[in-house]
Amino acid sequence: MSVSALKKLTIEHLRGSVASFTLPFEKGKKLMVVYGENGTGKSTICDAFEFLGKGKVGSLENRGLGKTNKYWHSVGKKPADVSVTLETLDNASCRASIAKGEVVACPTDLRPRVEVLRRSQILALVEAKPSERYAAISRFIDVSGIEASEATLRDLIKSLTSSREVAIARIQENQDAIRHFWETAGKPITDALDWATMESNRDLGSLDAEVNALSTLQNACSRLFDYPARLKSANDGVQSAKSAVLAAKQKAQESAQTIVADAGEILSVLQAARSYLHKHPSPTFCPLCESKEKVQGLGERITQRLTSFSGVQDANAALKMAESALQRAEQQVEMLSEQLKNQLKEFEKVVSSFTWSADIVIPKMPAPEASLEAWFAEVSAFQAGWKNAETTRRDKKQFTATLKLALKTYNDNVQAQKELDVLLPKLTQTLEIVMEERRNFSDNILTKIAEEVGRIYELVHPGEGLNKISLELDPNKRASLEIGGNFCGEKGTPPQAYFSESHLDTLGLCVFLALAALDGPENTILVLDDILASVDEPHVERLIEMIYAETIKFRHCIITTHYRPWKQKLRWGWLKNGQCQFIELSKWTDQHGMTLIRSVPDVERLRLLLAETPPDPQLVCAKAGVILEATLDFLTQLYECSVPRRSGALYTLGDLLPSIDKKLRNALSVEVQAMDASGASIYQTKHLTPILDELIRIAQARNVFGCHFNALSFELMENDAICFGQKVLELIDALADPDAGWPKNDKSGKYWANSGETRRLHPLQQPK
Amino acid sequence: MPMKTPSQTLAEKIIERLIREGLLTAEAAKTMLPKLTEGKLRAEDWRLPIELAVEMEPKS
Repeated sequence: MSVSALKKLTIEHLRGSVASFTLPFEKGKKLMVVYGENGTGKSTICDAFEFLGKGKVGSLENRGLGKTNKYWHSVGKKPADVSVTLETLDNASCRASIAKGEVVACPTDLRPRVEVLRRSQILALVEAKPSERYAAISRFIDVSGIEASEATLRDLIKSLTSSREVAIARIQENQDAIRHFWETAGKPITDALDWATMESNRDLGSLDAEVNALSTLQNACSRLFDYPARLKSANDGVQSAKSAVLAAKQKAQESAQTIVADAGEILSVLQAARSYLHKHPSPTFCPLCESKEKVQGLGERITQRLTSFSGVQDANAALKMAESALQRAEQQVEMLSEQLKNQLKEFEKVVSSFTWSADIVIPKMPAPEASLEAWFAEVSAFQAGWKNAETTRRDKKQFTATLKLALKTYNDNVQAQKELDVLLPKLTQTLEIVMEERRNFSDNILTKIAEEVGRIYELVHPGEGLNKISLELDPNKRASLEIGGNFCGEKGTPPQAYFSESHLDTLGLCVFLALAALDGPENTILVLDDILASVDEPHVERLIEMIYAETIKFRHCIITTHYRPWKQKLRWGWLKNGQCQFIELSKWTDQHGMTLIRSVPDVERLRLLLAETPPDPQLVCAKAGVILEATLDFLTQLYECSVPRRSGALYTLGDLLPSIDKKLRNALSVEVQAMDASGASIYQTKHLTPILDELIRIAQARNVFGCHFNALSFELMENDAICFGQKVLELIDALADPDAGWPKNDKSGKYWANSGETRRLHPLQQPK
Repeated sequence: MPMKTPSQTLAEKIIERLIREGLLTAEAAKTMLPKLTEGKLRAEDWRLPIELAVEMEPKS
């Protein structure tokens, strides 16, 4: 989107603008030169653009003021009073002001892009540290995002390279392990890996089944082997119980013989009597027969008789217990026998449920009841074999599993290596492309900037051989930019070391212009604040020409200067004024602040003087004389005419007019560009001979009217004075274009031309 | 249209070259471009598209 041309800038209460100041922009002119002596407000204009475009006032920075915003407003005003408004030809405007300590531009989308270069900053980029220099141009070459992605890719390649090395090491390790297994297995076939593959494919299920069957068999067997001991113990118990019963019977018989036949009934009577005597301890007669005889000691006698009866009772109880114990022991034997039968059946089932390998010896089934003991002895001999068979199979299983794992690890790593062998070169190629493109990108931009700097520099210092500027990123440092120049054939020398201050200034300006031109110049307002101060006189004109040529790329360019010759050269039309608007600032006052002076070139002033009614002969002659001197000075130098050589080189009309000899006068003509009725460009030839002849005739009018009080003037015709002025104006109008300057360019080889060839001066050389 | 950043311009050049060299498919490039510009490509973001491009290479 193209941005509209500037119409006017209004500054209110910013820095030196104590009163509202308006800077008008002339339509069709993209370059404005603001001339003013020191202290007239030039920098305030630059500050205003920076305030509007960047929200700061750079002229106050680096002056030891700390935070500068408290000095932005004019003395006696407040920050809120500050306002800068830029209006454009499409009647849009953008205003910047201060709100809550911040610069606010409204509307933000119309905020202009502004680049400001001040005299104090001109060397900043050239003399800066490489890192600061990088920072200044990083917006053109900063590819930190790409660099971060590149670093990730580099790390990935590093990591995968390491993985590949690990895979190769693993392959070797597993190859060795497989070979070892193969040798352990007795090298069954010629190739270890083929063997390992074959073994790994073997079904481990049959081994598992055998191991499980053997384990079950041994468990069943061990359960069976409990019974012989338990049965023996139970039978022993029966024998003991039988012996105990016999002994108890014997004792019971012996106790029974000690008492009468009706002992049971007597025992009841005695027990009842003891209970009675317990209640009546001292009876006087027998409670049964009522006899008083033998009543003495009755209680003791009853107790004695009862004691002899308890021995029989105990013997009977012991016999009963022994008989019970025998019964239990016999039951135990019976139960164990039944369990043994069941376990034998279970064992038989385990044996018959599996097809045993030939190396596993299985006992005869069913176990013969008659010779069970021998059968157990036989089975006992087989158990060690079964244990060995199980261990062998478990070892075999473990061996195969380990081999399988080794082969799997080997195959996995071979596969991983194969994949990485394909992937890694591609990733490496990718990284190389990324690096190459990044370097090319940065180099191209830096070369482009450097060439542009060199090209601009050559415009100011043509043929000095200092235009081979190089900008290089230091490969060993992040964000570091080196600047180099070509000095006496030595490439890459730091300009700061060999260039003069003036050359460095030019270089700094060239770098600034090249960078500004790289970043959307058509949208950028370029502000150059007093950048001509240190340029030496021979280079000023070329520098100005260069600025004219370069600034045309920008939306607008404002140059402030206190360089007086520029003002004079503009006044005399020695510069291409076509695209340039000249503004002069008058003395600043605390009452009116900044003010503009309308600066009128001398030729225009003469035209105005001649247009007055009546014209003032003295003023006309004075102004025309100065213009004629300037014109003849130009022509005599252009054609290398002979003039009297004098110290101080101040030449008068008396010196200059005769030096344009008759041959040259007769040859002088100018093709003046004009337009025909259809608007097409045509050239009309204007011969200078009659003008110069007439001027020679009336030249004395200048001295008589224009320079001194002279009584002779009383006798001369005022008409001659006016005619002098008119002829000078006719001469300068023919020779110079107020917009395109004087014809000083001989590149055509046929004539002298000004910019745009609006004037073609003939001849090219003085006729012989 | 806002001006491209240097990273954006360079990322486009890199992606174009990688596609031209057969290291990236056009489809994968679309996803990769913004991440490459912003420095947000992770290791797998590099690896997978390149593996994919390798797989799609005509087998000799």
